[in-house]
Amino acid sequence: MPWYLYLALKQLFPTGRKFPFFTAISVLGVALGVALLVISTSVMGGFGYEIRRMIVDTQGEVQVRADGLINDSVGLQARLAAVPGVVATTPFAEGVVMLEHERKPAYPAMQGIDVNRVGAVVPLEKFIRLGRLEDLDDDSVILSSKLALSIGARLGSKVEVYSPLLLEKLKNDEVFLPRELRVVGIFEVGHQQLDSSVVLVTLRQMQELYGLGGAIHGINVKIAPKADADAVASLINASLPPAARAHARSWIEANQDFLFILQLEKNMIFFLLTFIIIVSAFSVTSSLLISVVRKTREIGLLGALGAEPRQVAACFCFQGLLIGSAGTLAGLALGFGTLHFRNALVEGFTRLTSSEEVLTRFYQFSQLPAHTAVGDVIMIVVCSVVISTLAGLLPAWRAARLKPVEALRNE
Amino acid sequence: MSDPILTACGLRKTFLSGDRRLEVLTGVDLDVAAGESVSIRGESGSGKSTLLQLLAGLDAPDAGTLAWAGTPDTGTKRRATFLGIVFQSFYLIPELDARENVLMARRILGGIDPEARARADALLAKVGLAERMTHLPAQLSGGERQRVAVARALMNSPRLILADEPTGNLDERTGDAVIELLLGLCAETKTSLVLVTHNAAHAQKTHRQLVLRGGTFAHG
Repeated sequence: MPWYLYLALKQLFPTGRKFPFFTAISVLGVALGVALLVISTSVMGGFGYEIRRMIVDTQGEVQVRADGLINDSVGLQARLAAVPGVVATTPFAEGVVMLEHERKPAYPAMQGIDVNRVGAVVPLEKFIRLGRLEDLDDDSVILSSKLALSIGARLGSKVEVYSPLLLEKLKNDEVFLPRELRVVGIFEVGHQQLDSSVVLVTLRQMQELYGLGGAIHGINVKIAPKADADAVASLINASLPPAARAHARSWIEANQDFLFILQLEKNMIFFLLTFIIIVSAFSVTSSLLISVVRKTREIGLLGALGAEPRQVAACFCFQGLLIGSAGTLAGLALGFGTLHFRNALVEGFTRLTSSEEVLTRFYQFSQLPAHTAVGDVIMIVVCSVVISTLAGLLPAWRAARLKPVEALRNE
Repeated sequence: MSDPILTACGLRKTFLSGDRRLEVLTGVDLDVAAGESVSIRGESGSGKSTLLQLLAGLDAPDAGTLAWAGTPDTGTKRRATFLGIVFQSFYLIPELDARENVLMARRILGGIDPEARARADALLAKVGLAERMTHLPAQLSGGERQRVAVARALMNSPRLILADEPTGNLDERTGDAVIELLLGLCAETKTSLVLVTHNAAHAQKTHRQLVLRGGTFAHG
């Protein structure tokens, strides 16, 4: 080992001292910064991950829509099935309706789904809290949980549905009675908006309510595991005939503004919390500068013994690198340890502050999500080690500038 | 007299103190032969330490020439192998034990091997610190620290040792012992020695005694 690395190690961890105070404080500063970065980016990543999963679970990974209606639903699905990466497809029709139960109206978005095919594309079954998806037929409806609560409907209740077609019929002086549907299920996705404004009916029912005939509004597509949604959407677009006037969009493209905001928030938090590491780096710089002043004569001695100025500089730079590396390792351990016990910690905190429901109500999740991206960890490690090493540069430069004769004259 | 190990010709050094120019060395000539020991005495401020720094290549003279074993290369790399320096204040690295302080002279040259470790141990044994090798400087007395510094100066088998008031921080008895040790080891290894000292008795023990006065040597 080169002497300057050896001496750097000895100065940080002197022989016979179990707890080198300067080293411990410097390492702790970096560790706290790294731990905070790991925790915050993981929790932000967790929120983002859960929201993305929710989008995919309810909309599918790719959605094909047309400028108008898709009339040849069967032909288009057959064409989609031939595209590489496409695993399954399910048609849908959608629109806003008025729904009434015991004179309590609501205006939810109604989704018409193909009960036999929808399960292959979106895991609706797992969101059903009461009733069963397979009980859905042309005379029934599945309500979202908060909507059901707001209109006081339960399993077996009868609700009346008014569609825009009713208004058209009225214009022509025709009588069109509201459709009465039986509630056969209640679903809950875990997302405030979806759980308070969506109802599910069969595709045939929706087509009837909106007067679509055999047409549909779009097709949800399930793609192969690990396939790139954007790439599959591009392949689908290339395979669609221009006459269909249809266009495939991945869930990423469809929600790009929202995903951009999520990423922006995460980047801002990363940027702001990096300042904690920068502040701790200043403390490393200050401690090393004091060390240079305290060791002026020793630096002079090293020069007298034949040490080059760049080697003296490397000795102090390496101390910054060591503090940064040790602090980063400790910070990763502290960060991941805290993440492991995050739900117990949050539970304790919410119990103390009597705010158990806040997380569920405002953040849509009953548990604190966490998702750590490898890229984020690499970025944190690189930032922390580089900043800490840079912190050693100023002291190193000062040490290298000391001329042995002047340093020894300090005597 | 054999070929000189150290040759200094007309060394001059001036320092600026505010508006004043202090001519510390006004033309010093010095030859030191292989195996020879030379003492330099002088009053405080007479320029002894400045001269030693010039001879060690740690500072550049305003005028004059310096050669080590006939070669004018007095750079950092050569200093590490050609010279051993002993300072008044020992200058041991507090985080390293006695053995590692001695070995530091070799580490700076580019790494250590078992042979170097054995030599460090042998040198420490020679200066009477066989039992204190793993002690930190803070656990050693002043005399013991200076003996470690002597062992460090000899670690790379230098051809010349420059000692700047090595007994200045020691009591008389310990200082005598250190001088005896230094002279004895230099004689044993045929290493030349330039000893700067205030102590006339110590100076008398060297082959040649010089007195620095008025910026140049007056034979004393």
